[in-house]
Amino acid sequence: MKVLTHKQELCTGCRECELACSRTYFKTDDRNYSAIRIIENNKTYRANKCTQCGECIDMCTANAIYRDRNGVVRIDKKKCVGCLGCVGFCTELVMFYADDLDVPFKCIACDVCSRACPEGALEVLVSRVKEN
Amino acid sequence: MIKVNTEDFPWHPGMTVRALLDEKLFTFRHIIVRVNGEFVPEEDYEKQLIQDGDDVLVLHLMAGG
Amino acid sequence: MGTILKDYSYTPAKVKRGYSGKSLYINVSDLSIEQKEITDFMKEKFTGGKGFDLWYLWHAVTPETRWDSPENEIVMSVGPIGGITQYAGTGKTLVCSISPLTDMPIDSNVGGYFGPLLKFSGWDAFELQGKSEKEILIFIDGNNGRIQIEEAEDLPEDAHLLAEELTKKYAENEDDMVNISVVCTGSVAKHAYMGMLNFSFYDPRRKVCRFKQAARGGLGTILHDKKVKALVVKYRGVKPNLNDAADISTINKVGVKYHKEMHDLDHKQNKMRQIGTANTIMIMSQYDLLPTRNFQMGGDPETVKISPQVFIEEWLTQGLHDGCWYGCTMSCAKCADHFLLTTGPYAGQRVTVDGPEYECAAGLGANLGVFDPQAILEENFYCDTYGIDLISFATCTAFIMECYQRGQITREQMGGLDLRFGNSQAVLELMHLMSRGEGFGKIAGLGIRKLKKVFVEEFGADPQLLQDIGMEVKGLEYSEYAHKESLAQQGGFAMAIKGPQHDEAWLIFMDMVNKQLPTFEDKANALYYFPMFRTWFGLVGLCKLPWNDIVPADNYKTDSPAKVPEHVQNYVDLFNAVTGRNIDKEELIIQSERVYQFQRVFNVRMGKGERKDDYAPYRSLGPVTREEYLSRQELYDKQLRDFQQLDPETMDLDEKIAATRRYREDQYEQLMDAVYRRRGWTENGIPTPERLKEIGMDLPELLEVIEPKL
Repeated sequence: MKVLTHKQELCTGCRECELACSRTYFKTDDRNYSAIRIIENNKTYRANKCTQCGECIDMCTANAIYRDRNGVVRIDKKKCVGCLGCVGFCTELVMFYADDLDVPFKCIACDVCSRACPEGALEVLVSRVKEN
Repeated sequence: MIKVNTEDFPWHPGMTVRALLDEKLFTFRHIIVRVNGEFVPEEDYEKQLIQDGDDVLVLHLMAGG
Repeated sequence: MGTILKDYSYTPAKVKRGYSGKSLYINVSDLSIEQKEITDFMKEKFTGGKGFDLWYLWHAVTPETRWDSPENEIVMSVGPIGGITQYAGTGKTLVCSISPLTDMPIDSNVGGYFGPLLKFSGWDAFELQGKSEKEILIFIDGNNGRIQIEEAEDLPEDAHLLAEELTKKYAENEDDMVNISVVCTGSVAKHAYMGMLNFSFYDPRRKVCRFKQAARGGLGTILHDKKVKALVVKYRGVKPNLNDAADISTINKVGVKYHKEMHDLDHKQNKMRQIGTANTIMIMSQYDLLPTRNFQMGGDPETVKISPQVFIEEWLTQGLHDGCWYGCTMSCAKCADHFLLTTGPYAGQRVTVDGPEYECAAGLGANLGVFDPQAILEENFYCDTYGIDLISFATCTAFIMECYQRGQITREQMGGLDLRFGNSQAVLELMHLMSRGEGFGKIAGLGIRKLKKVFVEEFGADPQLLQDIGMEVKGLEYSEYAHKESLAQQGGFAMAIKGPQHDEAWLIFMDMVNKQLPTFEDKANALYYFPMFRTWFGLVGLCKLPWNDIVPADNYKTDSPAKVPEHVQNYVDLFNAVTGRNIDKEELIIQSERVYQFQRVFNVRMGKGERKDDYAPYRSLGPVTREEYLSRQELYDKQLRDFQQLDPETMDLDEKIAATRRYREDQYEQLMDAVYRRRGWTENGIPTPERLKEIGMDLPELLEVIEPKL
């Protein structure tokens, strides 16, 4: 499966990843539309993003969340009714929403942010282990 | 004698909150215990002793059905 | 399939701030269809949901109208918050009609997709009036603005088959099936007064139609009498803000907070996501509240065989979403998948059983002396597909069983059915007989009030005993809580406006265990606040369960944990965010009271709604029989000493029973006085003009009804 990983020791907190994400998917520089969020804690930086654990799949109230062929957890926008149940149920707090969007959004391990990272701190790993 | 939810209940030396709950057959888990007005957290039920004359409230939090 | 009898086009009204502003009227006598305006007056006085239902019903009927009169209506409405997807329990429809059991308005609160999809199809409310000559079905296509009435002669009768057939018929493909909801009853509706309405929703994971029920008061019997086989609505395109909320941001924020609370706390609290409402079975038995063998006792050692653990580990599918509308993360509509039926017309088939809910496990289990989870699930399945209100069925059958075991009726009079407590095979056989309208099945569905008459007049039973043990008030059967030791709950049941159901008030722990309601005034205050507060769910389209079947972690620190203040504030915020209005929690209560008092006056108009109609059978108040007294002798003897200064040592058992009864009946009278005062009613239970004026409900049509009664 594919999952985005983050090397804390390389991250400088420049947040280019957030911008790359929000620009790609929502054409905005507003970081509230990014599916990766860099959290600063005493000069170290943690990246909040989906671990593709898939716990949201069975709890989805519209049966709209699924794991694709690459093992990435995705939201079917045609089925999603924007109940935000998955946002409240995400243990990692990495299912995001915005008031002007009909469906929540999440990291789909697409590589856009890792290509934008000047320090090489982000990488999409592909493992052969299949989950679920 | 102690008061439990305003009614008399026999006391004995060494009575903990847990022992009282067991004796009253209060098996419902979603409760609040106050001894003389002081809130007792669940982790203290085994060790907190009840003294003779104490006023104990065991509020069952269900208004459901 | 059937010939189209009527094809009607309309332009679906767009929902604005929670209301479409239109209601749909269909008369099946002449197949006429009309649109009506939802006026500002209606919104202000009646809010929506049950309020709209009762307002329309008032204008449709006269004091002489009975359940099977052509002018009787089935009215349904979802309310302004109904259909939002971001909070739990937001898809509830309220259904009202003149009941065959009570001859006055009944209201029933039901999940499933019908109400929200109806509103998004342009209709805040739906009135169904008249009687069709042929069996028909009504199809509402909300995307295309089309209503079709067609013949429905050769469709199956039982709900699980009918809903599946209609869902497939109207869906374009499998993904489209979630956009369809069917309202129907089942084969029992033809032969019983306790026929209910099933509201379907399609479960895309299990690939079956599932049901919630508008169960109380015989609504299915009325639908069948109108010869309407089914109502079907189809609406594709549910989205988060189809209600055109004034403030979507607040709705999202409150919703996410609530979902997170559910995720973090449910497994530590009620486990609604694992077992649903049946989580309380063991607790009820341990606190003497589980009605056992017709409410004689409040529990039984055998309850452990039907404990939540048994259902979770052996029967109920775990881990899947089980909500009856989108966004319900409480997910309490559990089910048993691949359940093998062993009796009746579907014996040998594997089915999905919706349930058991608490009422089912308590009513069809303990109250019938059945402590067998497999039997309970089979009874549950057949109640649903046959369209039987399982609460009325359970309480009524428990009554029949006790009559039989006390020698009041014989096995021969029941056509050979051996309806002993615990005989689940006989219970199932009774259901199958009811479904076919054969033998004792023809009369068992009349309900306790009418059965008492039959047993006395035709079988020579003792009228006083039957009056004491028949658990009905106003003609409606009690729901499943034993409550002899809670005076407040005795009132909560018997003074409930539609009949004895706990959806108005559940005060047993506050009253009996916590002792928080020591005086009559305390009890009366609770019997004002909780019925008003809980009425509100049915005005706006909400489910009661998410209010207090989970509570915030710090709820215990609040002044009034039983009210769950943070959740009350959530509701105020949701109402304001949808409608753009600015109510507070006090105005919320007044919104409810307007409808509550209206319903009471409606009862008065139908010749009910007076003090005489609010009396409980003595089984509700205290020990009727020697066995009941002896089972709690220590407690009852102590009460004789403490409350009446009597010496039980000098009294024989019958004297003690009689003294206890005098005392308890007097307590109940005093409670009635206190509650009536608190609710602004006369000593005879009639709402006063002064009270109606205070809440803005001194409408001329109401004053005209109450004036002769003052």
